[in-house]
Amino acid sequence: MTWDMFLGAAVLAATLRLATPILLAALGGVVSERSGVTNIALEGSMLVGAFFGVLAADRSGSILVALAVAVVAGVALAALHAVASIHFRSDQIVSGMALNILALGLTSYLDYQLYGTTGTPADLPGIPDLPLGALERIPFVGAVAGDQSVMVWVALLLVVALQLFLFRTVPGLRLRAVGEHPRAADTVGIAVRRTRYWAVLASGALAALGGAYLSLSVAHSFTDDMVGGRGFIGLAAMIFGRWTPVGALAASIIFGYGGALSTSLQGATIGDLRVPVQLLSTLPYLLTVLAVAGFVGRSRPPAADGLPYEQEGH
Amino acid sequence: MTSGTSAGRTAPPTRRDALAWAAGPAIPAASVLIALVLGAAFVLVSGNDPVAAYAALARGAFGTPYDVTETLIIAIPLTLGGLSVALAFRTGLFNIGAQSQLLVGAIATGFVGVRFADLPGPLLMPLVILTGILAGGAWGALAGWLKATRGVNEVITTIMQNYTIVFVMHWLLQNGPMSAPNAFGTPASARIGDGAVLPVIVPAELIPLTRLHAGILLAALAVVAFWFILFRTTLGYELRAVGLGPRAAAQAGIDPKRGMVLGMFVAGGFAGLAGMVQVSGVFQRVYDGFSAGYGFDAIAVALLGKNSPIGIALAALLFGAFARGGTIMQSNAHISSNLVAVIEALVLFVIAAETALRELARRHGALKRAA
Amino acid sequence: MKRLLASFVLIATVAAACGGGAGTPSAAPAAAASATARPATAAPTATPKPVRIGLVTDVGGLNDKSFNTLANQGRLDAEKDLGVQTSVVESKKQEDYVPNLTTFAQQGYDLVISVGFLMTNATWKVAKQFPNIKFGIIDGAPANDKGDTENLPNVANLFFAEQEAGYLVGVIAATMAKDKVGAATHNTVCSMGGIPIPPVDKFIAGYQDAVKTVSPTTVILNGYSNDFVDQQKGKEVGLNHIGKGCDILFQVAGGSGLGYITAAKEKGVYAIGVDADQADVAPATVITSALKRVNKAVYDTIKAVKDGKFVAGSQTFNATNDGVGYGKLATVVPANAKAAADQALADIKSGKIKPKTEIQVK
Repeated sequence: MTWDMFLGAAVLAATLRLATPILLAALGGVVSERSGVTNIALEGSMLVGAFFGVLAADRSGSILVALAVAVVAGVALAALHAVASIHFRSDQIVSGMALNILALGLTSYLDYQLYGTTGTPADLPGIPDLPLGALERIPFVGAVAGDQSVMVWVALLLVVALQLFLFRTVPGLRLRAVGEHPRAADTVGIAVRRTRYWAVLASGALAALGGAYLSLSVAHSFTDDMVGGRGFIGLAAMIFGRWTPVGALAASIIFGYGGALSTSLQGATIGDLRVPVQLLSTLPYLLTVLAVAGFVGRSRPPAADGLPYEQEGH
Repeated sequence: MTSGTSAGRTAPPTRRDALAWAAGPAIPAASVLIALVLGAAFVLVSGNDPVAAYAALARGAFGTPYDVTETLIIAIPLTLGGLSVALAFRTGLFNIGAQSQLLVGAIATGFVGVRFADLPGPLLMPLVILTGILAGGAWGALAGWLKATRGVNEVITTIMQNYTIVFVMHWLLQNGPMSAPNAFGTPASARIGDGAVLPVIVPAELIPLTRLHAGILLAALAVVAFWFILFRTTLGYELRAVGLGPRAAAQAGIDPKRGMVLGMFVAGGFAGLAGMVQVSGVFQRVYDGFSAGYGFDAIAVALLGKNSPIGIALAALLFGAFARGGTIMQSNAHISSNLVAVIEALVLFVIAAETALRELARRHGALKRAA
Repeated sequence: MKRLLASFVLIATVAAACGGGAGTPSAAPAAAASATARPATAAPTATPKPVRIGLVTDVGGLNDKSFNTLANQGRLDAEKDLGVQTSVVESKKQEDYVPNLTTFAQQGYDLVISVGFLMTNATWKVAKQFPNIKFGIIDGAPANDKGDTENLPNVANLFFAEQEAGYLVGVIAATMAKDKVGAATHNTVCSMGGIPIPPVDKFIAGYQDAVKTVSPTTVILNGYSNDFVDQQKGKEVGLNHIGKGCDILFQVAGGSGLGYITAAKEKGVYAIGVDADQADVAPATVITSALKRVNKAVYDTIKAVKDGKFVAGSQTFNATNDGVGYGKLATVVPANAKAAADQALADIKSGKIKPKTEIQVK
């Protein structure tokens, strides 16, 4: 075992790659829940974003078109959740779960119909990497940040943008008010339902970007169920991060780091003992619980999170 | 009546709700019909025959006595899992970890069932039942304890527990400490002792080939136990008080932290029992990766069943019907199993919205009368 | 709760209305009325009954692009060429194995094939209950409740010599590494398995055996993604191995292994596919594949049943009977590598080389 396996540039670079999809899902969760709507269909939005992004990339040959289509798909799924939760006041957990099942079944079905025997094409346009040119020669940082996907930087920028939006702008304040005291917000004239709709749609868009990252930057293909639970890890990261974008970033990094470690420690030995390769895979999960237990403690959701809002006199 | 609830905010149904059963059959039937029609449209668009599809679905779920027993076999762990999630909800906690508690119960059952394989049934069976419940309970209580002492949100802990257990099982059973040596390296434990096997309870002359095992009796007992614990014991009273919020708990003189740990313990116990039943009744050994997804479906089962024992049993049957019917849809009507998932999702989605549709209708009726 | 009740009533009503038939001709009316199981006996009719084949896959679905996809391909080819009726059922959980197999057996199918080594006990159970129906297991033999192998007269055990396929591609990899062909400049090769189980490890064992034999100085690395689906995990292992100097990456990890190949593609080095010919996954990157012709095993067994030549017991699909091989070679593969692989193939066929089945570098 060497320190390089823990803190080498390769491990930190891997951390960013692994954290990105989770971060995007977590950001989606933050926006939605800050407005008072629990959206556990992030996994589903990621999945449809991943699939339709690949489909659009295949048919159009343009990565920009592909990303746009991915976002539309994620928003469409989130729209179903929004209508069910906000308009029909359904149980938000059941609605979210139903949409996750729908997304999985639909994407798997379409994948088999369209790409069943051959798989998705090998030469899909992909999300480009962002080479940093001269900066890459900076000894450690250059190796870590040097050749990351554009989407990694987009995610980091979104953290800053959303943090500023939620906590430093008036519209952000309104959104949070709707999530904490919807009745009071309504009384002062804030459109509660409309704000929530926007928030849920935005969460679908963010999650879809995470899914598109997986299919168009990491895998350059689509395979069934490729999101593999990252939407739910994103929810955990959201809670861990106390429903703030910066917190979600910290949580995603910790989780990503655990994943990077579980790869880099394969084959490592302490003396004669080697950690079984299956147990290494538990690292990200254990690390996350330890981090929350050790450093974060209690986190409180927005007061009206998950509660449908009934407007008087309607 | 509560409308559109979510994590930790479900109130137990009142007597008025129970009476409301009798009134207004139109909307529930209509909503299920809508979902099935949407599903049929999907099937049609995909180039398949909707009538054949639904006929196969129904036939698979209930067509023959054998099919009915197969549906029941699936419903058993779903019922137990649903009770687990529901109990946690009642305590104000969101138990996403029913799957890992199930697996922990299964591993413990496998371990004890093998270690004490020579004990006779009357000794070994209660032992493994207890083991499954206690192991699942302890694993659940861990999440409750982390929340009580360090404030760790149980959603985080239980999601992480789910993944952790999967990999621990890989380690235990892939040429690991618990795997039984065999020719092909199948990742599985040794077979549990005969005394720990839940026998098939339907005679073969009645329904040939049936695998319906005594686990169904345990599930039925669990349903009763759920009701009893929650509504007839001080523990249940405490848990429900904690579920109603800190003020209610304080008024009842209960320490919410204690409630969290106990609530997750009992919840974990139900799920652990599900794991025990799967090992004892279905496989007679622990296979790496078995019982996938039950814990997850259990969440939907608990919510659909409105956290009530009978509701959960019915919801579990519905899911079992879909699972079993889906197989026949694929084998006989040649319809992709993924389409079954789409239909299932639509039904769930519409059922979720139905509560509110009912409210809307009622409010419209109230407004009309007021006008 | 109302609505749950309502959905039952609806489903049950439809069930009652539709009775036993399930709407397609292939469903046997054994359903509603009979209280006894009817194992299929060939009905003595004037017109020959169509031969019906059922395939039951493991969890993982038909879209895995390697194992299940190949088995499905064999089924579809047989349906087209041999005029048999076939059907497939995907298992969603391990609990589904027995009922899925039983579903086909109860309806009197002529042959039911289990695709996967986890289904050995389930197949044993069902095959014993239906002695007149033929079964096949890919990668396994029937295992009784004690866990011991128990061959049955109606079950064909279809094994593969994965280590031979691994050996062949290992020869190619070692030759290229030794001669520093193209981008393979570091004299290091590696492999990644899904999980450490025999069907996976045998490929890797043969691979490592070949490398050690052909080029003892080549460094060998090995890893696992602990997943058969997640491509990002496979890619991370790949990037890790490439960071340690590996130039030829052999994937034995299904969908996750596609990520391993993607890592090789991104870094401009080489990869080797598995099960199916994966040259099209990444044309300039995949230099060859370790072929496991599951489709052939399925096809041949179906044909045997149709021709009345079904043989129970263990069969091994290996180099000799064309059951394993190496896949299409990329243009960068030099002639001497191909020649070495062909020589190794001949030596395996003649028995001169017996590739190891135990991994040496874990």
